[in-house]
Amino acid sequence: MIEKILATIFFPGAVFLLAVSLFYEWVDRKLYARFQNRVGPHLAGPFGLLQPVADFIKLLSKEDIVPMAADRLLFTLTPILASALTLFACMFLPIAGPTGIISFKGDLIVVIALLSIYTITVYLAGEGSNNRFASIGAERAALQLIGYEIPLTLSLLSAAIAAGSLSVGGIVEAQAERGLWLIVGPQSIGFAIFVISSQAEMKRIPFDIPEAEQEIVAGWEVEYSGRRLALFRLSKDLELILLSGLGAAIFLGGPIGPVIPGLEPMLYTIYFILKSLIVLAIFTLVRALFARLRIDQMEFFSWKYLMPLAVILIILTEVIV
Amino acid sequence: MSFEIPIGPQHPIHVEPLMLRLSVEGELIVDVDVDVSYIHRGIEKALEVRPYIQGLYLVERICGICNAAHSLCYCLNVEQLLGKEAPPRAKYLRIVVEELSRIHSHLLWLGHYFHTLGFETLFMYFWRDRERVMDMLELITGNRVTTAYNTIGGVRRDLTPEVEQKLRRTLDYIEERMRYYEKVIDSEPTILARTQGVGILKPSDAVRLGVVGPHLRASGIKHDVRLDDPYSGHDEIPFNVITWDTCDCYARVKVRIKEVHECVNMIRYALDHMPSGDYRLKIPPFFKAPPGESLSRVEAPRGELVHYSISDGSDRPYRYRVRTPTLANLLSVVEMLKSRDGYEVYIADVPAILGGIDPCICCSARVVVADEARRRRTVMTLDDIIRISRDRGVERR
Repeated sequence: MIEKILATIFFPGAVFLLAVSLFYEWVDRKLYARFQNRVGPHLAGPFGLLQPVADFIKLLSKEDIVPMAADRLLFTLTPILASALTLFACMFLPIAGPTGIISFKGDLIVVIALLSIYTITVYLAGEGSNNRFASIGAERAALQLIGYEIPLTLSLLSAAIAAGSLSVGGIVEAQAERGLWLIVGPQSIGFAIFVISSQAEMKRIPFDIPEAEQEIVAGWEVEYSGRRLALFRLSKDLELILLSGLGAAIFLGGPIGPVIPGLEPMLYTIYFILKSLIVLAIFTLVRALFARLRIDQMEFFSWKYLMPLAVILIILTEVIV
Repeated sequence: MSFEIPIGPQHPIHVEPLMLRLSVEGELIVDVDVDVSYIHRGIEKALEVRPYIQGLYLVERICGICNAAHSLCYCLNVEQLLGKEAPPRAKYLRIVVEELSRIHSHLLWLGHYFHTLGFETLFMYFWRDRERVMDMLELITGNRVTTAYNTIGGVRRDLTPEVEQKLRRTLDYIEERMRYYEKVIDSEPTILARTQGVGILKPSDAVRLGVVGPHLRASGIKHDVRLDDPYSGHDEIPFNVITWDTCDCYARVKVRIKEVHECVNMIRYALDHMPSGDYRLKIPPFFKAPPGESLSRVEAPRGELVHYSISDGSDRPYRYRVRTPTLANLLSVVEMLKSRDGYEVYIADVPAILGGIDPCICCSARVVVADEARRRRTVMTLDDIIRISRDRGVERR
């Protein structure tokens, strides 16, 4: 019991996840900068590794303003809820073993549900701040959810069908038994759908429509500052690790790989981080390659191309299995 | 039910204070109101109280990006008042710097435009290449941004062979990069989705609203001051006026990219056929201009720039008037932003459409608000304002 509590708090729980999520933010920023021919963060710490930490601490110390017109309850609750939800969802990731800290039959469905609830939190955060730009951003976030939620779910479910299990740990084990990653074969289409709709889930280019800086300033998060903004930033970092980790676990075989003598206790974590960094690099590449779509174009794209593709994939997987 | 959204006076699309009041229904824009009067700087008035040579440095600061065009227009204006003309070598050197700053302005615009579309990578690439042009401007003129190259009766510096060599290499580089960018823009579906069919301005509307520059040429109308009214030896240099007939934001991008190629060719031609001789007339720094009036036009990177001056025979202009291209183009933004039957404009299109005219607000503020200290607002006629400002100017003299 105590072991479980310690695992939840320290490794691979909250403390470890927070540290890794800030590291992932650094990787994302640095890669993005290199793709754009920039230097990227390079001042705080070696190679600028501490830049996300410095940004986080800076935001914590900034003045925290609650607009008079805002809904105080929502305004206070949503940042906490957002970071708590993503942290909770990260507990399902197989980081220090073939299964996550929390694992049961059908936990994949819980992760998918948590992802949707996160977007709804964002919607509430935007509407609760009672600002013109935030309202439009929140509406866009909710509209976007309609577009990407089903393709994302279907892509994960088709992987679950192929593996014959509805839990993250089960899918990892099935891949280890087959000796082949799920991305090999028809599930590569699923991985592509997963990457695209994750980009929308994380509200990154080309789907950063809810927070389009040049159109609606910062969209749903425009009124947030100080600690509240820091929590939202943290939740975004955690979402980064959640989605790249989920991609690695479900499509790239999870934390299992060839045994390196001498490193056995750390092996799961090393493979997990390596594989999720590959997924993260793909996410960052996609972010550097496109312009922002308009909300109607995004809906059009996901319902005209992503949805049918996801349905075909499900049928294909069903036929093969 | 409509909802009002203020784009400005401070907004991330713009570093300059422009106010667009949008009435939206959902994402659809139904009405627009535009206000540019946040930074009236009184430059025209300031020009009236300075000798001509000091005015030269002031007009350059009307706009940092079009500084070469502004100073050229001013010099042409004063030279016309004096009845003098710059020597042939100066004319060619002026073209070199003018076209080089047009390249820099177009690259800056292209970068900023893709930034407003959310394409940060292309923004960084364009601005990196723009640095090469800035370096050349620095080598030729001595300054990166405010070049201060044109002067009354010629230019300040000559072009050395070493600099010319470097300039040619930079031109080759820019030409190659622009070919690459054109390929990227034509093959990138998200850019095409965001620009094609967005912000359509029909040729008839463009003419009616007095649109100028690349914005007008993107509506398919062949108009270029360099062609219609060659002001600095442009009749000797062959060049094409680029037009595009899709009349949308895509056309604006294409016209500017193709214009960069034209600029490169013009500079090459000017370098190849550079006349020898003086690059500057000997004109004393302080002089009195004969009474009269003069009007000069220059094709600035953003469009037709007009300077008009009246001289009363003293050492400073009696009246100086500047009409910048952005002021001419702003009306068309209102036209393009309103949804009509079969033409829908969304909030997401605002940056694309507003950015499409290459707005430069700091040179556009024109309105004088007469707000009395006793919190009473008096309506003043234009004549009143001119009279008051002139009286105060006389007192200061």
